[in-house]
Amino acid sequence: MFLPVFIYVLIIYYWPMLGVRYSFYDYTLKKIEFVGLKHFQKMFSDAEFWKAFTNTLVLSVTKLLITTFTSVIVSVFINEMVNLFAKKVLQTVIYLPHFMSWTVTAAIFTLFLSTSSTGFVNETLKSWGVIKESIDFMHELHLWRPVYYLVNIWKETGWGTVIFLATLAGINPELYEAADIDGATRLQKIWFVTVPELANTIIIVLILNLAKVLNLFESVFVMYNNRVFAVSDVVSTFIYRKTFMTAIPNYGYTTAVGLFKSLVGCFLVLICNWASKKVRGRGII
Amino acid sequence: MAKNKEYVAGRKHKTGVFDIVNYLVFIIIGLIILIPIWKVVSDSFNSVGVYKFQLWPKKPTLDGYKAIISTSKLYRPFVNSVVTTILGTLLGLVMSTLGGYVLSQYDMPGRNGMAYFLLFTMIFSGGMIPEYLVMKQLHLVNNMWILVIKHGMNVYNLVLMRNFFEGIPGSLFEAAKIDGCSPMGIFFRIVLPLSKAALASIGLMFAVTVWNDYSTVQIYITNRDQVNFQYILRVLVMDGDTPVTQYSVSQNTLFYSAIVCAILPFMALYPFLQKYFVKGVNIGAVKE
Repeated sequence: MFLPVFIYVLIIYYWPMLGVRYSFYDYTLKKIEFVGLKHFQKMFSDAEFWKAFTNTLVLSVTKLLITTFTSVIVSVFINEMVNLFAKKVLQTVIYLPHFMSWTVTAAIFTLFLSTSSTGFVNETLKSWGVIKESIDFMHELHLWRPVYYLVNIWKETGWGTVIFLATLAGINPELYEAADIDGATRLQKIWFVTVPELANTIIIVLILNLAKVLNLFESVFVMYNNRVFAVSDVVSTFIYRKTFMTAIPNYGYTTAVGLFKSLVGCFLVLICNWASKKVRGRGII
Repeated sequence: MAKNKEYVAGRKHKTGVFDIVNYLVFIIIGLIILIPIWKVVSDSFNSVGVYKFQLWPKKPTLDGYKAIISTSKLYRPFVNSVVTTILGTLLGLVMSTLGGYVLSQYDMPGRNGMAYFLLFTMIFSGGMIPEYLVMKQLHLVNNMWILVIKHGMNVYNLVLMRNFFEGIPGSLFEAAKIDGCSPMGIFFRIVLPLSKAALASIGLMFAVTVWNDYSTVQIYITNRDQVNFQYILRVLVMDGDTPVTQYSVSQNTLFYSAIVCAILPFMALYPFLQKYFVKGVNIGAVKE
């Protein structure tokens, strides 16, 4: 019964692993030639690559911290809702954006934030008298990252609450009863009972996602543009551009960049696995 | 999340200032999420170019949708999306139930080897370019079946499936064995019928992934006959590559109609299947 799965995995996952040998070759349409560590030397001295690498870390980690933070806040207060019907409706609404693709999300916000006369946000702000001139949200170097984070908050905060709400549902009610007897107010109970109970789950969520920080691709790819490369280009988009948007691509070089990314990713997964074992007694893989 | 166990933190209190503020804040949060979506839906029916804070279409029209249905450049990718999503989901379910069931058999020889064989792929991967070169050799470049093949196997979902199978009481298998049921018989007659909820939630995860996939198409497909709807939406909105249609529909109305078409299938199912969407996360994550 395992045979179909085995063959499938072998072809889809293991065969490409053999391809990492091209990191040591010049691989163009014309020739395949062994060049040793040339590509790695080029990569480590390539300022554009390092820019992409730091951008990946900054964008990924900031995004992870911000959305985890908003998810925790939102789930703590959802947990305080007394009316179960209202709670259900709210959950249905806030999970919704998670199921929209990044393409759709980017399309919506690009249209809304556009500077033309059809841009919803600029036209609304102008008609309310908040701003005089349209703001070019998607093309300004200092605005792109905040916009990217805000879109991520809009899309992923709700879904992030699923795991925290599951934890909150499992809190022992006696803790709240004890707090009641001690005369705690609502806010005190949130701060001294609910939040500490979440601490472990927060750490687990951070660990699980830290292992994946380098995998940033689609969300950036659909939102960036050549005017904001300096703040938005990440490793995967760098690989993509150098391969598919270059006249004469050298597969060897981009394979080397990919191998570097895979190795750092591998290292991160193993560290997070170790951390996860420390925190909750079982690994992530 | 058993409902009777759920403790409502505020239940013992009278409705106070805290609750009122709490509800108000959540109404605002709900609106922040819904207004963009609503604006898209409203503008997809809007024939007049008013894009201020106006949440109801002036002079409603269906031309945007008619244009999509009648232009083969636009409806063909939609059909491709539907076909690949259905097949990708089926393949994904077959693979993850087969693999998950094998991994849940603790007394099976070689089980650990198989587990490591699968888990290694979660730690290390060849990367974008070697994968591309392999797919090229398999003639899957410029071919929409890449969407099915690429998503037909997902180790994470396979592990979720295994976790679910492990939760089935072992005594059921014992009883079936005593009655002379073969391992395959156990799989088809006991395991699968008991796993309907898990199959639904994992199937939905596969469906959402395939339907929403854009980067695979962007990397592997350049032939416009083979692309999916996400790709054509992207080309339409970002590159302004608007095909000629027989309807005199404004560009923006067409864009917003296309966005609605891209989210419609899941938005229509979502309120009814929400518990399955959520369950998938909890099978894996909360199992301690």
